[in-house]
Amino acid sequence: MIKVMNLSKEFPKKDGTVFSAVDDICFEAKDSEIVCLLGVNGAGKTTTMRILSTIFKPSSGTAEIQGYDIQKNAQHVRENLGFLTGDTGLYNRLRGSEFIRYFGRLYGVAEKTIDARIKEMADMLDMHDFLDKKIEFMSTGMKQKVSIVRSIIHDPPVMIFDEPTSGLDILTARNIVSFIRECKQRGKCVLFSTHIMREAERLADRIVMIHKGKILANGTLDELRIVSEQTDLDDIFVYYVNKFTDETEVLAHEF
Amino acid sequence: MNFKKVGVVYRKELLEVLRDKRTLFATLILPVLLYPLLIVGFNSIMTRQTAVMEEQGATIAINDSVGNAVSRLLAEEIGTIDNYNLVPFTATTNQLYEDKDVHAIVSIGDSLGADGTQFYKVYVQYDKSKDRSRIVFDKLYDSFKASEKKLQKQQLQASGINPEFLDLISVRERDTSTAQKKMGMLLGMFLPYIMIIMLLSGASTVAADLVAGEKERRTLETLLVSSAARQELVFGKYLTIITLAMVNVVVNLFSISFSLKFMLANSAAEMSGVQMPISAILILLMAMIPLATFFAALLLSISTFSRNMKEAKTYEQPILWVAMMMAMVSFLPAVEMNNLMALIPVINIALLFKAVMINEYALSHLLITIGSTLVLDVLAIWATIKLFTSESVLFRSEDDSGSLKAVGKNKNNFFNPFYGLVYFSLALIALYYLGTYWQGKDLMSGLLKTQVFIIALPVYAIIRLLKLKEKEILRIKMPKATELLLIPFIAIPAAIIVSVISQLINIIFPFPPKYVEMLSKLFTMDASVWKVFLVMAVAPGICEEYLFRGFIIRFFEKYGTKVAIVLSALLFAAFHLDPFRFVPVFLLGLLLGYLTLRSGSLVNSMLSHTINNGLALVLVTYGSSAWLKPLISGEDSLHYWLIIPAVIVFTGAIYLFHKVTEKGVPECAE
Repeated sequence: MIKVMNLSKEFPKKDGTVFSAVDDICFEAKDSEIVCLLGVNGAGKTTTMRILSTIFKPSSGTAEIQGYDIQKNAQHVRENLGFLTGDTGLYNRLRGSEFIRYFGRLYGVAEKTIDARIKEMADMLDMHDFLDKKIEFMSTGMKQKVSIVRSIIHDPPVMIFDEPTSGLDILTARNIVSFIRECKQRGKCVLFSTHIMREAERLADRIVMIHKGKILANGTLDELRIVSEQTDLDDIFVYYVNKFTDETEVLAHEF
Repeated sequence: MNFKKVGVVYRKELLEVLRDKRTLFATLILPVLLYPLLIVGFNSIMTRQTAVMEEQGATIAINDSVGNAVSRLLAEEIGTIDNYNLVPFTATTNQLYEDKDVHAIVSIGDSLGADGTQFYKVYVQYDKSKDRSRIVFDKLYDSFKASEKKLQKQQLQASGINPEFLDLISVRERDTSTAQKKMGMLLGMFLPYIMIIMLLSGASTVAADLVAGEKERRTLETLLVSSAARQELVFGKYLTIITLAMVNVVVNLFSISFSLKFMLANSAAEMSGVQMPISAILILLMAMIPLATFFAALLLSISTFSRNMKEAKTYEQPILWVAMMMAMVSFLPAVEMNNLMALIPVINIALLFKAVMINEYALSHLLITIGSTLVLDVLAIWATIKLFTSESVLFRSEDDSGSLKAVGKNKNNFFNPFYGLVYFSLALIALYYLGTYWQGKDLMSGLLKTQVFIIALPVYAIIRLLKLKEKEILRIKMPKATELLLIPFIAIPAAIIVSVISQLINIIFPFPPKYVEMLSKLFTMDASVWKVFLVMAVAPGICEEYLFRGFIIRFFEKYGTKVAIVLSALLFAAFHLDPFRFVPVFLLGLLLGYLTLRSGSLVNSMLSHTINNGLALVLVTYGSSAWLKPLISGEDSLHYWLIIPAVIVFTGAIYLFHKVTEKGVPECAE
């Protein structure tokens, strides 16, 4: 369960002013639910996810992961969180199994449990052939599978995927997509970000549209279709962005 | 902190290091191969070369203008040297000498003494820059001396005097230094240098990889999201660097030891039986550990700060160079260990090393060395953990604001730490060369010129050149009357506290007498009190504040008020080019930085600085006057009890100052 409450993040700019990467956003993601954070590049998706995964501290507002506050209980938040991005690097000189084990130990998972999980996931993702290969000799697809196992080695109830398919070929991307579905089936709360409309359309139970740090819309695909009177997600997105731009321009005129 | 997780990180990093062939080669294989080649190879070449030159012989041209029995004896004697052949001096000899077919030309002449004794003068022409010619000269000299003795003995015998008379005094050396100690002396010279360099190079091979490398390979984010705490990650990585640095040192040391042992076994009898001082080396290995931890922390913080490996390697370079220069102190014969030297990192280890090797060291030096290094170590580790929790550092983006183009676009971009350090360095160079030159010509006007032309005016010129608002940038504004009123109550006790602190420092690390003499010269200039007051108190008060609290501090303000105050105070202390006053000046700098930033007015710190310097002047000038006597012990030091009222007044005044300046000061929002 993820609960985001009036979250804002400002970065100081060189000229002394601040840049609002995330501006007072609120949304929720429940267990067994896939929520998609949809927005163009630079909309604030990665910043939001980095705040949720305790890498960044929010400027104001807060969020909870499984009821733990991201600032007061950062340690518990991290224990309950699996995190995966499309462009995550791996330690090339380690073997696949060593890499997964390293993170299992960092999460404090017992050795036996680690063994069992690696076996279970390797069965599921068909990884036995290359599990003991050095990562530098693995293909992108193999690496991505290792990353998947790494992200779930501590069996977290909440999974965050930041642009999980970016930079991946179509076959590898499919692995990720089916893994995200698998997570939902296991009752996990899933938050993933993307700028690819089709991905959001196919995967998400609910879509949170984000633009220039603000939330434009939040609802199921059907709900969004009704409000915007559009069928295609591309058109829905454009509809909301235009609406937002108009509103801000009006605001700018009023002042 | 969970040590199990530290262990997990540590083991994983070591495993990665061990799988890296380049690191393995540099830390393990290279030293094992290098020293035998270097020491044994060099040594055998050396001995062989000398032997060859000894056997080579020489051709000596003799120009005998005397031609009597004595001069013939001299020539004959030379002829008896192995492989030496004699040729008479002819018209072509000089050409042969040029062509190196003749190695030396010996000319024998004579003169008559007042009593009719015939004296012989032997000129030897040879090329002193050639090793071989020097050997020739030495042999010729010995030969002449042998001939001389022979002749003298003949003369004495002829006059009926016992020829043994010539050996009346014989000098023999009895060297109390053992061969062991000589060996220690030699090792003490180059071992510390090698070990410090090895320590650093061992550490730097991995340090850049550990954080900057993770940033570059995009693995850092995953690591930060894991449930390991930041300090657990830092310590795991930190231990990895220390381990590698120490392994590098130990491997090098063993390799050196074995090569030396081999060399000793093959060398002349004089050195046989000399052992490598193993126990001394073990003590030093222990002493190296704090240094290893310090370097590890330093390099780790650089690695954390850098965006990628290349950047980290660039930042490592100056540290490597400075450490190398400092380590070279072991080659200087005159520098010896003392309490002050024991405080300076790297230098202390190098000197300690030297002292331990000849078994003449004080335990206190060992303890100060370890203690001071550990203090620095803790600071560096603390900084690394701070950096590791700073998101702006971990996710530092390409920063273009420092480029000249960016400065052209926005003048405020000028104030970044890089330009700050560049400006400071230029000012320091000007002070060192120009300032010293001026003050050497005439102290009084030199000091004034330094303040105006080196310290203040260039700042003014830059402000004008960049068309910056001088008053706003340098915080030149009138403070509130209450602030001004409080300044004396802050400055006077602060000066007392700082004086007492420097007196205490003086007890532990006494100023050299030459230094005290130089300092008192400053205060007892041949001029009226008011002039001295102007040059020593008012001018520095205005000009130095203009530079440091007005200008320099601006370069560091983007890191926050506290950082700006500390850094500007450090530079302020360094600017005085005086290791003995570093701490007191630094403390003063902290206070002055606080006064300016807190109140937003440079005038406060100018006044405070002037009062501080003025007070020192009063103390020196009127130290012996009756009205100051009760406060003074000895010649011009303060009674220690004065620190109690000083601290009370200072605390109260600072508290009030803090209150008075509370509102409307955006700079101190923290």
